[in-house]
Amino acid sequence: MIIIGEQINATRSDIKPIIENHREDKLIELAQKLAKAGATYIDVNIGTGSGTSNDEVDDMRWAVKTIGDKIDIPLCLDSADAAVLEAGLEARESKPAMINSTKAEKKHLERIVPMAKRYNAKLVALAMDESGIPKTPEGRLAACRKVADWCTKCDVPMKNVFFDPLVLPVSAGPMQGLLTLNTLASIKKEFSEAKTVIGLSNVSFGLPARAILNAAFLQMAMYAGLDAAIMDPLNETLMQAVRTGEALVGKDRHFRKYSRKFRRKN
Amino acid sequence: MNEQELIEKIAYNVIQGRVIAEDEGFDEGLEGQPAVTELMEQAVEQNIDAKKLVMECLTGSMEDVGEKYDKGIYLIPDMLASAECVGAAMDILGPRLAKAGIESKGRFVLATVAGDLHDIGKNIVGIMLKGAGFEVIDLGNDVPADRIVEETRKNNAQFLGLSALLTTTMREMEKVVKALQNEGIRDKVRVLIGGAPTSDKFAKQIGADAYCRDAFHAVDVLRKMNI
Repeated sequence: MIIIGEQINATRSDIKPIIENHREDKLIELAQKLAKAGATYIDVNIGTGSGTSNDEVDDMRWAVKTIGDKIDIPLCLDSADAAVLEAGLEARESKPAMINSTKAEKKHLERIVPMAKRYNAKLVALAMDESGIPKTPEGRLAACRKVADWCTKCDVPMKNVFFDPLVLPVSAGPMQGLLTLNTLASIKKEFSEAKTVIGLSNVSFGLPARAILNAAFLQMAMYAGLDAAIMDPLNETLMQAVRTGEALVGKDRHFRKYSRKFRRKN
Repeated sequence: MNEQELIEKIAYNVIQGRVIAEDEGFDEGLEGQPAVTELMEQAVEQNIDAKKLVMECLTGSMEDVGEKYDKGIYLIPDMLASAECVGAAMDILGPRLAKAGIESKGRFVLATVAGDLHDIGKNIVGIMLKGAGFEVIDLGNDVPADRIVEETRKNNAQFLGLSALLTTTMREMEKVVKALQNEGIRDKVRVLIGGAPTSDKFAKQIGADAYCRDAFHAVDVLRKMNI
């Protein structure tokens, strides 16, 4: 499982001041904590909601540089603004990066897909288009096809694409969980080379015992073919779900990760 | 890398359970470095004596693994990973050993008895025996007594290993021993048995030559038979 650590997100009240004030030490400390906990990527979302697009470009550049100079870990650059994404990619200076994200809308695709090619970056593609989030697996799959067409056109290999089937809270719609799982399975069936990713914690929004619900959903999604999750690697319940899930679906050769986590320490 | 360094590196990677370069090992941070397959190919290229490679890279390492397993430091997947390394190494070395005219320690027929589908333990035994220099003929699982006897005779095997994981199927081993007697080849083959419900006492009861607790013990037992 590819674990994309979600903490560095400026919409969180504890992170916002770190980004706004460019608190280098705090940012590095957090990134190190995420890396140590088992994150494969660190998500970087510097959108505080208060600055201009130019501020965000500066903040992204700063955050990417700051983490990249100190820690050798791939970054997942998280913004809806193509200019901010590009600033982050540039600041990575050819080190591994993931673009998070493009929608299946022409105005996004024509800007963002060529960036994935130019910077040889991984690309998260949301299964939604101009008309919003489709309500059926077929509709979401159609959005993925549109992204896939653009990737072919721009020479971005499917193995670099992470389709996000989209996760909506089950509290507001009890069939949302199943809809995501079914979409996930259809994506894996149609695009066997492509990867899949979900923003895990959405599923439990507004409910108690979120970690347990997230863990259960994560393992169901792993069975449906999930490759990556944007999640909290500092949460022990979730990490246990990752390691046990991987072991159960044959994605942990020789049980190395499982053993390392659970075997008796001398 | 000189010969000694290479031998030590292969032995280390067998213990770490790294078959190919991208594998993780028991310890962290080894992925990407050459593993048993790559190193063994290099050893063959450098014309290092195949027998020496078996003895110094495989046999000794697996003893180490067995010890770690007994102490509870290694889990079943760790042991399987190391056994897989031995299998991969033997695939590379097999033709060399034959060409060098190195004789095997003997032909070993291996089977899980009729009615029993369990074969994980038996497979590990098979890999360990190959690593220890035996020629292994694995008949698989759910093998009827008459076929076991037939294959033992046909292959002129000096050893027969029987496995059963169920109390209901372990009795089948007795049938095999009786059938060997009836066919007049009981004294030509040593019968070793193993599997969770079996024991030393049971082995004696049914007239087998030895009970083996696990794959490592099996190799030990054979060594004590002076083979």
